[in-house]
This record gives sequence, structure tokens and C-alpha cells, in this order.
Amino acid sequence: MRYSVFSLSANALSGHRRWKRVWRDAEPAEAYDVVIVGGGGHGLATAHYLARNHGITNVAVIEKGWIGGGNAGRNTTIIRSNYGLPGNEPFYEWSMKLWEGLEQDLNYNVMVSQRGIVNLYHSDAQRDAYARRGNAMRLHGVDAELLSSDDVRKLAPFLDFESARFPIMGGLYQGRAGTARHDAVVWGYARAASQRGVDIIQNCEVTGFVQDSAGAIVGVETTRGAIRAGKVGLAVAGNSSRVAALAGLRLPIESHVLQAFVSEGLKPVIPGVITFGAGHFYISQSDKGGLVFGGDIDGYNSYAQRGNLPVVEDVCEGGMAVMPMIGRARILRSWGGIMDMSMDGSPIIDASPLPGLYLNAGWCYGGFKATPASGWCFAHLLATDRSHETATAFRLDRFESGHLIDEKGAGAQPNLH
Amino acid sequence: MRLPCPYCGDRDAQEFSYRGDAGPRRPEGEDGLFDYVYLRDNPAGPIRELWYHANGCRNWIVVTRDTRTHEVHGSSLARESGA
Amino acid sequence: MAEHLIHSEQEGWALATVMARRAVGPAAVGAALELELRDEPVAVSNGAIRAIGTGPGAWLVIDTEPDHGFADALQDRLEGLASVSDQSSGYAVFRLSGAGARTALQRGAAIDFHPDVFAPGSVATTAIAHIGAIVWQVDDSPTYDVAVFRSLSGSFRHWLEETAAAL
Repeated sequence: MRYSVFSLSANALSGHRRWKRVWRDAEPAEAYDVVIVGGGGHGLATAHYLARNHGITNVAVIEKGWIGGGNAGRNTTIIRSNYGLPGNEPFYEWSMKLWEGLEQDLNYNVMVSQRGIVNLYHSDAQRDAYARRGNAMRLHGVDAELLSSDDVRKLAPFLDFESARFPIMGGLYQGRAGTARHDAVVWGYARAASQRGVDIIQNCEVTGFVQDSAGAIVGVETTRGAIRAGKVGLAVAGNSSRVAALAGLRLPIESHVLQAFVSEGLKPVIPGVITFGAGHFYISQSDKGGLVFGGDIDGYNSYAQRGNLPVVEDVCEGGMAVMPMIGRARILRSWGGIMDMSMDGSPIIDASPLPGLYLNAGWCYGGFKATPASGWCFAHLLATDRSHETATAFRLDRFESGHLIDEKGAGAQPNLH
Repeated sequence: MRLPCPYCGDRDAQEFSYRGDAGPRRPEGEDGLFDYVYLRDNPAGPIRELWYHANGCRNWIVVTRDTRTHEVHGSSLARESGA
Repeated sequence: MAEHLIHSEQEGWALATVMARRAVGPAAVGAALELELRDEPVAVSNGAIRAIGTGPGAWLVIDTEPDHGFADALQDRLEGLASVSDQSSGYAVFRLSGAGARTALQRGAAIDFHPDVFAPGSVATTAIAHIGAIVWQVDDSPTYDVAVFRSLSGSFRHWLEETAAAL
């Protein structure tokens, strides 16, 4: 059933009791052409684009818990394409373009809201760095605008412009950036994939891989039995090292915890997404009114999905430094998600050294915005055995060959990216 | 999270800087350098890891900690544990 | 009732860090200085000088009534045993006393200052208001000395005054 004003009216007249299930909760079959491990946004998007772009519909997405229950439910919903390096920018812009048409493609309201992002700068050197990044974006055909302090005042008059330590001198603005509804993204992709015949299998955790005599991966062992597969794709960011280890692989990745916070619901006050340039703090406001904000990762290896107080203090200090009025808001909830922190801060979409096994990993804390392009490019790789043209830099062997994509220039120290 | 510094006693993790897995050893030559710099076991469970007590005794220590729970099982001075 | 905190900055002290050479134990360094040194966060004194334990094989040595050339004299006594670095102008030392001194420190540092675990002679190298600080208890009135890098002493004084006002 297509969602439309007519289906809405018809269901309203029948008391909303006849809505069909949004997607099909499948039982595992014996074999598929492609098995995707991980029922988050990236895995489900991959399944959707495999079916939509490549006609490969004999596909299963297997998920150890429930779909969207991992990092897809633990992010801060920001979408943007304001990267500086040539290996990144075309990919994230492709993702941005897919966001812009996603609701029509999926026939599902994922609440894409292009409310803009402003990255504040607080020094001459930072202005130069942002001008350079904005120019790099424009060279890739992406909108970017360098704002003066007065321009920022018009956008967000409540910021602390005259702070002695961190005066706000302006910002780098991307108007097409914004937010999307994280769980709607998961369900939208699940519905679209399911309608094309993809099996979505929940409560099915991978416990090992099936290898043929030559060592190629030809299936997965799961808590619901063995499933044979022509190809296996991993989309389990946060746990990539654990799952890859089942196939005997070591990855250039550490798992770290990233915390985020939401305040009580408030009237509309934050116009878009705002990031502090002198510390790590970013904030937006959800459509329900909560202020959604976060900062740095905790900085030590963790799979615990919860963080510690020093980062809570650091995030709150950042918030108070840039917008003192946040001190009046009460925090409603906080949570932690587990990030695949790669050794250069950029993702991996590539074949693994084992035939039949493909990796979609290393998203650091930037995975949500990448969801559509990640699925698109991973599906392209699984279907054609070639990297998509926007994802050619995300190779697994770049660490060995020296072709790193290090936006921060922090080196092989994952907790600094 | 509080870490047991062998010299200072239990201290908040905020006083320390994190280096990561204490396992990898720098090889003598180029062989194995890529593994040493880039590849990690990244275990879900106990890990021996290097922390520097920057706001304390300024010593590197090796902490054994469970990455699933943040439970700390012990620590020693890095120079004494050969890390 | 508000607790009372008296604070002042020590003037005229000589300070030096002493770091034992590799394989030289605290006993050997202590013997050269006529101090009973141990690798523990404690302060020991011989009446003339005082050593504050700041790490394994590391001490902050203080003379409150120094002669000229304190650090050079220390270096002579420790030749071959330890490195000496004059910190007389590197550290500022604040003295905290009065009924509110313990409460003030408890509000600044994330460690336990209860008398059961932190008594006269105890030392803690830690951070107060993000400022690196070496704290030791002088007596049980209680009186504490706090050494911070001199370039941060203005910020530390600011924290101290804010904390004292809120006691």
C-alpha cells in the first residue's frame, strides 16, 4: 500500500484500524544471494538499494536485536555535507542529495528538515580554516557561506557573542543541512526493502561464518541456524571488530562510547544546528522541542553503551560557554552509543581480504548523515564488486598504502578523531 | 569511572590520558609496523590498556578493564609490567 | 553557620623537584638528604628541609628558610643519584587553614580528604578546577599547603576566593 492523502483519508474513516504492517518480520530461509549483517539504517538502506538499483531481491538483513535498536537509535539526527577533503566531500554530498529525495523514493515521511547548520568560529585562524573548508565544498558544487558575526546574530541572537575567551566572530553555514527523524529512516528503508522482497530477520545474531574449502565466506552461522549466502556484507558499526574477528580479521578500528543528551521539551528556540568552534559541543532542537546536544567521545575503548561524568561536565561547559541560556534547561535523558573509531576518522566501504565478505565500517561518530549514500555505495559494491565513484577513497588498504583520509590530521589515535 | 593508580590510589578517569591497547609492540624493522600502528584486537571484554596519569604522579600505568562494563580489575606501573 | 577559610600565599620558599636516576631507590636518595624517603604520597621532614612525594622516585623538596643557591646545594648532595630542577619561581604555594579548609578542598578535588584517609603528612597530586595541584596536609587543625604552577596561581586564587565565599 502506498501512503498518500487518499490512504490516510480512507484509514481515518475506518478509525485507523486497517493499517497494514509497515514491513514483514521474516523467518530465515536456507540461502540468499546476499546476507547483510546489521539491521540499522546502513544495513537496511543497503538492502533497499540492492533491490531498487540492482534488482537483487533475494536478500536478508539479519539483526541481533530489533531493527534500529543500535546506533540508529542513539544518534543526534544531524545531516550535513560540510567536509573538507576530496575523499569525503563527494560522498557526503551524494548522501545529502539522497536525503533530499528520500521521502519520495521511500514513500515514507522521514522528516527531513533542511534547517541549516552553522559551525561557529572564534579566531582569525579558525575563520581561515573554515573559509578554506567552505571553498573546498563549493569546488565540489556544495552550498557553503561564510557568515560574519552580524549574520550569526540574525540567526541565533541568544549566543554569547562577547565572551572574552571565545568571542563569536562568525560561522560557516550550510543551508541545505539539517536533521531527519532517525527511527523513521530505519522504518522507511525497512518498508521499502521489504516491499521489494527483502527478508528482515530480527533476534538473529551472527555467531560465526561459513567458509568453503578455499577459505571464501559462503554464509553465516547465527543463533537461528546457518544461512548460506553468495555474499555477506557487514554493516555493524560499533561492533565491526567483534564480528570481523569471527572471520579471523583484525581491523584498523577501536570501539568508543559517544554520549548525547536531550533536554525537556521547550518552545522553538534553536533555529538549526549550531556547533561551537572552541570546544566540542553541538546542538539542535527536535520537532518535539527537546534540545538535542552532545560533544566529544569519552576517549577510551568501550562497548558499554554508557559513558562517564567527565564528558558530561565537558559538554555542559561547552554549552554554557556558547549559549549561557542552556543553563536554564533541564536534561531529560542521556545515552551512549558505541562508535567504530577508525584510525583516520573516516569510514571503510570495501571488500575484505576474504572472498565473499564485504565491509561497511568505521563510521566514527558521523554515520547517521551517511545512511543513504552508505547504503547506495555498499549495494553498488556488493552488486558489482567495484567501488561506487563517490566512495573510491574508503578502501580498507588505505592505511597500509598511506592514502589516509584524516579530516582532523590527528594521526592513528582513534580517540582524537 | 575511577582508575586505581598504583602510587596515588583511586582517581577519577579525568586525571588520565588514554593511549589504548597495551598489547602492540613496536617492531624493530619495517615488518609488522603497519600492524603495530593501525590494527587492533578491540576486544569486548577484558583489555590491558595504557593510561598516563597526567594530573597526578605523571606515570604511565597499565589498567586491566572490562570494555563491556567499565569494571576495573587492577593496575600496575607500565615500567614495572614491561609495557 | 559559614565555615571559615584563611588562605595566604607563601613567600620566600625554595622548591626543587628531585627525580631519582634509573635503578636508584628512595632509600639512597633519602640517605643523601638525611630524610626517610619512601615511594609513597607522603611528606617527610628533617627539620631543615621537607620532601613531598609526587610520584615513584619523584619528590618536591622544600626549604622554607633557604640559603642562596638552595637547588645547587641539593644537586651537589645528590650527584649521581637524582636530577634536581629548581622550581622556586615555578610553583606558587597557598596555605589553607581554618574550619572550612577541608570543605573547600573537597569541593575542588575529586579525592577523599576525610581525616581517616588524609591526615597530616598525606600528599595528593591531583587537579583542582582543572589546575594541576600538589596538596599536602600540614597539621590537623587542619592546615593544608597547595602548590600550583605559578602561571596558574591567578586562576587558582580566583577559585579559592569563589569557594571561600560560598562556604
